[in-house]
Amino acid sequence: MTDEFSHSDEDDILAGEYVLGVLTLSERLSVETRMKLDTSFGRRIAQWENDFGPMNEGYADLKAPNVFHRVEARLFPKKRKISNFSWFQFVIGTASAAVVALAIFLILPNPQRPELVAVLQGDAQAVIFTASYDGQALYLQQTGGPAPEAGRDYELWLIAGDAAPVSLGVIGGQTARRPLPDLASGMVLAVSLEPAGGSPTGAPTGPVLVTGTIGA
Amino acid sequence: MDDPIAELLIRVAAEDRAAFKELYKKTSTKLFGVLMRILGNRAESEDALQEVFTRFWLRAGRFDPEKGRAMTWLIAISRNHAIDRLRARPAEISDDDAVLSLQDHRQGVEASLVAKGEALRVIDCMGKLEPDKAQAVRGAYLGGLSYQQLADRHGVPLNTIRSWLRRSLMSLRECLGA
Repeated sequence: MTDEFSHSDEDDILAGEYVLGVLTLSERLSVETRMKLDTSFGRRIAQWENDFGPMNEGYADLKAPNVFHRVEARLFPKKRKISNFSWFQFVIGTASAAVVALAIFLILPNPQRPELVAVLQGDAQAVIFTASYDGQALYLQQTGGPAPEAGRDYELWLIAGDAAPVSLGVIGGQTARRPLPDLASGMVLAVSLEPAGGSPTGAPTGPVLVTGTIGA
Repeated sequence: MDDPIAELLIRVAAEDRAAFKELYKKTSTKLFGVLMRILGNRAESEDALQEVFTRFWLRAGRFDPEKGRAMTWLIAISRNHAIDRLRARPAEISDDDAVLSLQDHRQGVEASLVAKGEALRVIDCMGKLEPDKAQAVRGAYLGGLSYQQLADRHGVPLNTIRSWLRRSLMSLRECLGA
């Protein structure tokens, strides 16, 4: 550094550099991680954002394309309820099969079938995941799009209300299972693209590719 | 509360989808202007617009009208997303469009603010910086220019531009008050 400033001034300058936008990506990510943990640093950033607010007049209006339907499709995917069609077909298909099915049904303790609870998609993305839930575990299946490029991984996140995203780990293949006793309607699942092995910070660092709301 | 956008955001936080649609109608023109100015690319700005509205829905509960205006909050999220995208581009090249647009509507900005009688503190304080330093701050804020792009534009070494901006931020903080 060419200048000597106090710690407090350094924090203010770093917050200001972040708000101006001049930092590199890795510096920005470290600022974003810190502001989540350090509330006084977070306030410095909010202060700069408000102070610079009047400069926003310098942005000219520009008629936006209508992407609202894409936003809605992403946040509120139509519920594609798994019907029990194949199950019914199976049961009524042949009498003997029905007997076998019934036998399995009776033998297995708690034979709750996973139900589709969310479709994770993003409009600009070929990548699609479906999420099913059986009351005990979440089952994720990639139903569209490529595997991550070499050196990258897809990582699954659970967002409950205003809480920060919680990692449910790297998705190691076409399907993944995560024990999850408390999944509730309205929670959001998201998949981001991260460095191999997953986010180094504990928060999503790469682009969020797809999202889906439970039960939407 | 004299902030109709804040009222919409509060309804969005309560998962009011009609309010969300109204928010899009009322703010997408301004926000698309912000994204295009920084990203300089229509297809990418459309993607970014979709992404920031997704974030508004998910984060609306964190907006606090006591702490600032709603439009400022929406623009901060939009700028941050656009700048993250810019900095994530593989090889950052000096973008002629961004540099050209640096000849920004300074007079226009200040005139329209005066007309609105808003708190112009930051504009006053910017006026106390040396002109080329104020221009660098403006280019960074409005255009999303990196230190390297600013150095190229002003024809000074990277360390010099960094020192300019850091000192300018310190002067602004003193002028604005903590």
